[in-house]
Amino acid sequence: MSAPLVEANGLGKAYPKVHRNADRLRALARLLFGAGTGERYEVLRDVNLQVARGESLGLIGENGAGKSTLLKLVTGVLTPSSGSVRVNGTIGALLELGAGFHPEYSGRDNIAMAGALYGLEGADLRARVPEIIAFADIGDYIDEPVKHYSSGMIVRLGFAVIASLKPDLLVTDEVLAVGDESFQKKCVRWIDEYLAGGGTLILVSHSMYYVQKLCRHALWLRDGKIEAYGDVFDVTQAYLAYHERKAAPVPERAEIARAGYEFSVLGVALNGIDAETPLPLEFGATLRVRMRIRSRDGRVPSIAIGIVRADGTPVYGVGSDMDGVALEASAGGEYVGEVEFADLALLPGSYAVRVHPLDPEGVRLFDTVERSIVVRGASREFGLVRLAHRWLTGSASLRR
Amino acid sequence: MPLASLTLRFIDRELRNRFAGSFTGGLWALIAPLIQLAVYSFVFVHILPARIPGADAPGYVPFLFAALWPWNALAESLVRSTTVVQENAALIGKIALPREVLVLASASASFIVNFAGFVAIVVVLAFAGNDVHLAGLAPAVALYVLLFALSLGLALAFSAIQVFVRDLAQALGQILMILMFCAPIFYDRTLVPERFQGWLDANPFTFYADAFRGALLHHGGVDVRRIAIAVAIAAIVLLIGHRVFKRLDPHFEDFL
Repeated sequence: MSAPLVEANGLGKAYPKVHRNADRLRALARLLFGAGTGERYEVLRDVNLQVARGESLGLIGENGAGKSTLLKLVTGVLTPSSGSVRVNGTIGALLELGAGFHPEYSGRDNIAMAGALYGLEGADLRARVPEIIAFADIGDYIDEPVKHYSSGMIVRLGFAVIASLKPDLLVTDEVLAVGDESFQKKCVRWIDEYLAGGGTLILVSHSMYYVQKLCRHALWLRDGKIEAYGDVFDVTQAYLAYHERKAAPVPERAEIARAGYEFSVLGVALNGIDAETPLPLEFGATLRVRMRIRSRDGRVPSIAIGIVRADGTPVYGVGSDMDGVALEASAGGEYVGEVEFADLALLPGSYAVRVHPLDPEGVRLFDTVERSIVVRGASREFGLVRLAHRWLTGSASLRR
Repeated sequence: MPLASLTLRFIDRELRNRFAGSFTGGLWALIAPLIQLAVYSFVFVHILPARIPGADAPGYVPFLFAALWPWNALAESLVRSTTVVQENAALIGKIALPREVLVLASASASFIVNFAGFVAIVVVLAFAGNDVHLAGLAPAVALYVLLFALSLGLALAFSAIQVFVRDLAQALGQILMILMFCAPIFYDRTLVPERFQGWLDANPFTFYADAFRGALLHHGGVDVRRIAIAVAIAAIVLLIGHRVFKRLDPHFEDFL
C-alpha cells in the first residue's frame, strides 16, 4: 500500500496534426508500418505526479492548458505519447457530460451498462440499483430515455453511479457546476465523506472555491506544463494572482509629471529587503516599508504609499502629509521615510506596494516605484482584507 | 473488467438497439427473411423462372437462399462493424474500455440475427416440400462459426482503419457488391465460362456458397483440402485483423 495510487513519470501527450485528409492516410501508414511520428501538437509535457491514497488534488489552469488531457491520460482513455502513468486501483471517472450514457436507453438501462463498464455484475448490480436511483433523485425520469434528460439530470445519474461504485480514485471534470444548488451540496457532502473514508480525488475546476474546499493539494497547468504544484492555498493564490496581473491594464504613466523629476525614489525596502522579487508574507504579519527619496532642489518631499491588488484594484493608500509626518533628511539630499503596517489585514494573494514622492504641498505626484508582496495562508474568505469581526451567536467549537 | 460479461452486455444493447421502438421487437429477425423469401420465390418461380442445370438440381429458391443468407451475414456484419468505433467515439472518449469488445459485439449481433433468420428460412423451405436436409443444419452451424471468424478478422481491421480513413465505409459497399456477384451466389459455378471458373476460387466466399449448398441441399460440396484452406484463411485473417486493431487502438482518440 506504500505505492502511490497514481504515478506519472515524464508524462506527455502530443496530437498529430491532421489538416488535410492526406495527413490521415499518412498517419495510418506510419502507425501500421511504424516509421517516425510526423508533425504534432504538444498539449502536455513532462508531467511528474504522485497522488497518494487519501489525497485530494485539484487541477487548475486556463482553457487549453491540458487539464482534461491529463485526466484522460490518468483514466486510460488516452494513450500517452511519452512517459507513463499508472493507477494502482479502480477509477471512477465523471468526465464532461453524460459519461458514456446512451441517449436512446432509459436511465435504468444506462445504469446497468455503466455498471458493466465498471465491472459490476448481475446480483451485485441489482442490489445497488435502488441506491443509485435514490441518489440521483430524478423521479420517474429514470425509465425515460436519457435523450429526454436535462443536463443536470444526466450529471445526477452519472454521479449517482460513481457514488455507488466507491472507486479508489474519483476523477471528475467541471461537472458539479451543472447540478442545482441542492444537488451540488449533496455531491460535496458525498465527496467529503468519501475523502474522510480514505478515498482519493482528482478534481478539475475553474471554481477556486470548490478546489479549496475539496482539495488539499493543487496542480496548476500552464501551456501543458506544471507551473505550480503543492499546497492548495499557495497554488490557487498564485494562479489567481496570475489572472489578476493578466487582467490589469498596462500602467499609464503619462499622468505622472516625470519631466524634470524634482523628486525621485532611490529605493524601497520591504521588511529590510530591497529587491524586485515578490516578498512573501504570512497572513497577519507585519510589513515595514522603508523609502529613500532624492530631492533635486533640497525641498522636503512628502510621500504617498498605496497598496493595490495584483490586478490594480486599490486597497489602501495614505500619505505622509495626511498623517502630518515629515520625512527625515539624511546625507546627500536624501530623505527617508519608514512606515509599519502591523497585523497586515490583507487576505492571502498577490499585491503591490506603490511608492510615490509628492511635492511638499502633497499636490503633484512624481515617480512611481512598485514592489510585489505575496500574502500566504489558508483562508476561504472573500475580498481583499479581513475586517475585524466576531460572531455574537453560535459556539466557537464549530469554527474551523 | 470481465470481458465476457461486458461483451454480452454490448451484444444485448446492440440487439435491442436494432429493434428499439418496434412493437414486435426481435420477431423482425424472423419476419424479414421470410418476406424476402416470399418475394424471391414469386419472382424466380413465376416471373423469371430460373433453373439450375443438372438432373438432381434443387429448385432455384433453396439454391439461392442457401448461399445468399450466409453472404448477408458477412456483408451486414462488415458494414455495421466498420463504423462501430467511429460511432462510439463519445463512449471511447470518456471511458477506458477494451475497444475490441465493440467490434465483437457488433459482429456477433449481426450473426445472431442472421442465423435466426437462416434457421427460419431452412425450416420453412423444408416444410414447403423442398429437398432441404435439416440434418445439414449441424455442419451449417460449424460453417457459420468459421464465417464469423473471417468476418470478425475483417471487421477488426476495417473498424480500426475507418477511424483514420473515412472512405473505407463508402468503398466497402461497392466492394461487397462486386464480391457478391463474383461468388457463385445467384448462379452455379457450372454456368460460368470455363476461363473464368478458376477465378471464382480466389473469392473467399465461394467456399462458403459451395459448402452451405453441399450441407443443406446435397448439391455440389467441398473436399477436405478446401475446408483446410478455408480454416487457414479465417485464422490468418482473424490474427492479422486483431494485430491491426491492437496496433491502431492506442491512437483512436487522436483521430476520432
